[in-house]
Amino acid sequence: MPTFRTAAVERRASPKRRSEASRRGLARRRPAAIVAYVGALTLAALILINPLQVTLLLALCLAVLIVAGRGRAAWPYLKTALYIGGFLAIVNPLISRSGATVLWQLQLGPFHVPITIQGVAYGVATALRIIAVITAFALFNLVLDPDDQLGLMSRLSFRTGLVISLACRLLPVFSRDAARISNAQRARGVELDAGRRRARVAARVPLLAALLAQSLERAVDVAASMEARGFGARDRSHWSHERRWRLADLVTTAAALLAAAALLGGLFAGAFSYNFYPLLDDPWSQLASLWWVLAFAALVVPALWSLPWRRSPG
Amino acid sequence: MATLARLSDVTYWYPGRGQPALRDVSLEIGPAEVILVVGSSGSGKSTLLRCLNGLVPHFHGGTLAGRVEVDGKDTRTSHTHELAHAVGLVFQDPESQSVMTTVEREIAFGLENRGVTSAAISRLVEEALILLGLSHLRHASLATLSGGELQKVALASVVATQPQLLLLDEPTSQLDPVSSEELLAAIRRLSEDTGSTIMLAEHRTERCLHLVTRVLYMNDGVLVADADPQRFADWALDGHRGLLPPVARLFARRARGHSADADDPGLPMTVKDAHRLLVAHEDPKPRHRPATSQGSPGGIALEARKLAIGYDPDEPLLEGLSFSLARGEAVALMGENGVGKSTLVRHFIGLARPLAGKVMLLGRDVGELTVAAAARDCAVMGQNPNDLFVKDTVAEEIAFTLDALGITGEQRASLTAGIVAELDLAALLQRNPRDLSGGERTRVALAATVCADPTMVVLDEPTRGMDALHKAELAASVRRWVAAGRCVVLVTHDVEFAASVVERVIVLGDRGLLADGPAADVLDGSLFFSTQINRLLRRALPGVLREDEIEWAGGDS
Repeated sequence: MPTFRTAAVERRASPKRRSEASRRGLARRRPAAIVAYVGALTLAALILINPLQVTLLLALCLAVLIVAGRGRAAWPYLKTALYIGGFLAIVNPLISRSGATVLWQLQLGPFHVPITIQGVAYGVATALRIIAVITAFALFNLVLDPDDQLGLMSRLSFRTGLVISLACRLLPVFSRDAARISNAQRARGVELDAGRRRARVAARVPLLAALLAQSLERAVDVAASMEARGFGARDRSHWSHERRWRLADLVTTAAALLAAAALLGGLFAGAFSYNFYPLLDDPWSQLASLWWVLAFAALVVPALWSLPWRRSPG
Repeated sequence: MATLARLSDVTYWYPGRGQPALRDVSLEIGPAEVILVVGSSGSGKSTLLRCLNGLVPHFHGGTLAGRVEVDGKDTRTSHTHELAHAVGLVFQDPESQSVMTTVEREIAFGLENRGVTSAAISRLVEEALILLGLSHLRHASLATLSGGELQKVALASVVATQPQLLLLDEPTSQLDPVSSEELLAAIRRLSEDTGSTIMLAEHRTERCLHLVTRVLYMNDGVLVADADPQRFADWALDGHRGLLPPVARLFARRARGHSADADDPGLPMTVKDAHRLLVAHEDPKPRHRPATSQGSPGGIALEARKLAIGYDPDEPLLEGLSFSLARGEAVALMGENGVGKSTLVRHFIGLARPLAGKVMLLGRDVGELTVAAAARDCAVMGQNPNDLFVKDTVAEEIAFTLDALGITGEQRASLTAGIVAELDLAALLQRNPRDLSGGERTRVALAATVCADPTMVVLDEPTRGMDALHKAELAASVRRWVAAGRCVVLVTHDVEFAASVVERVIVLGDRGLLADGPAADVLDGSLFFSTQINRLLRRALPGVLREDEIEWAGGDS
């Protein structure tokens, strides 16, 4: 006789699906508002030099990412940013000769390399700026879903936007195909993981044929499906009704524009100039600048508006 | 009756093909019809559907003779996107027909292509979501959906455009039975609610024959039969019984003493119809035909000991799995989609490592073997035969496996000759596997998988998208392997197929074994994992699963 055991057979909801179904933080805003806000953050990362201001900006970017529930997804971006930033932070003190305050003398073979506070500070500040720019980029990619990006881009170039959307749609499928093909080959005894890297690469070369063939077949199917659904007609419309403009969207957009104006105004007024060499300017003094206060406050407001404990539907 | 579509003497050749995919097909399609297109793989079903929406010839090229008219438009002179106003097509593979990344956007895509205003798109998207029961997934990323949900999104995307003619090309072939039933229920609701004409190509007639008003049978590009379901069933009795549902086949063998009168209800298509017939005409009664046993299993081939599997140690997919599989037995591994069946069989050869416990293959711990060493004794074939094909010819594919397993010399020659003869591949040896038909591809994939004469053979969803003829061939191979002392494990949702070849069934549920025992015990009385015959006769003849296990008192007609 068969043995039975009671068990709750219940499909587990994917965590990713849950997060997609309930947008959080900045992700709740209209695509145009997100673009405006992320644009203002990027502008700030490009304009600001003062290490304290850049640090505050980076903290704001990270906070917005976390509140939007994209902190974990942003880790690959941040890892890349840390590699690049770390490289700049290490290399700059080694090649900079303009600093006045020597921390220590480094002996690299026949060369004496003076490491200065100013060189280190400039390296760290540059690293922070790079990390802030990449974080803003991550914010754009992770908070604004590809279909919304397509929606915005379709007003400029629909075909380019569609290619981006298809890539986003098919890359995970391509990755799953690759994993499946590898496992199918392992199951027939093919050694894909033995030996040195060169041997492993050589063992995988025949798999590319299968992957390429499947990808091409899939591409043809996608193209047929698009054509069958009327793609290619001249009078295409654009659906932009999925999220209405709410007060929060207006506030975010207005704040982003105000921040951008303050940043540009401060730039032309010289309020954001900061000298690292030969001696560091006082980083604290610029925090009281009206341009900075205005720009940063304008950037903080939409972030506060997006906090999860706010009950506003917007 | 107004004609919605008309094919007149249509013959079509794909580019570079000598043989036409359609031959002299003439057909008229009216409004509010539900048409089932049946036929073996490569019989021309998909080509027929693609003719109706203009993909043939506009997308595929080739040569089209004759005339196809849809909604008054000649498809030769009207482009596919113009025909999309009247015709919608849902493809086989749900992964390959979506373009956008979220559900709402995907549904809106076809409407945007037609130039529908934003306000109207909002309304139609909303209605399509409600109709297909997808409202809760409106913002979901397509990457997170199951195959069934993805196929429903594809259907919603087409339904939203309100086509007069809805074409469905084997829409359930990639789906598990639950998802298939959901999709077919949605299609039935659609035909009842909207009155659109629906044309559905499908292999598993037991799922949909009762839903349709008309059946077309294609063979080698020729439209052989075109009739209502009852007339089609009568026609199929003469040499095409495999196209009929099991209950229809069973009653076709019943002496039809009552059938001479005008009230003859014909052959039943569903369990409900068959019940009615049994109640209305009690004699002759069905009775159990003594079955021949497949023989007793041999020694243990594989043993799972307190196995826990999954990706997260804190939340294993399945745990506490203990069972053994013997030589000379065929076992079906069943359970709902995503429960961990495919993941479990990957542990049989070390493609995945257990979270706890161990797998013993022929007395050796799989954890201490390389995958290649385990694969020598246990061949595992995945769901997609195409994943195996990395060489240019069938002969090279077989040689590639034998090379990988280090089999050389006389043994290699003898194994190659054996598998070529067993799977009838001699004529295909120099062909590229990717150029072969679906059934041939499956045979080549089987050859590449089992050519080294393994003790165990594991086939993951081997009948997905397979027609009746190829299923019968596969069943024959499985029986031969079992008779030769191999252990065969079938991971399958196809209950009818499983019942025809296995004597033991293991059902997996959330976190462990739900049932493990003889097929007649496990499948008998099951709500879902049961055959049509069992659902019909489980009270009168408990444990009966297949039509060939039944005979009618007084003899078959």
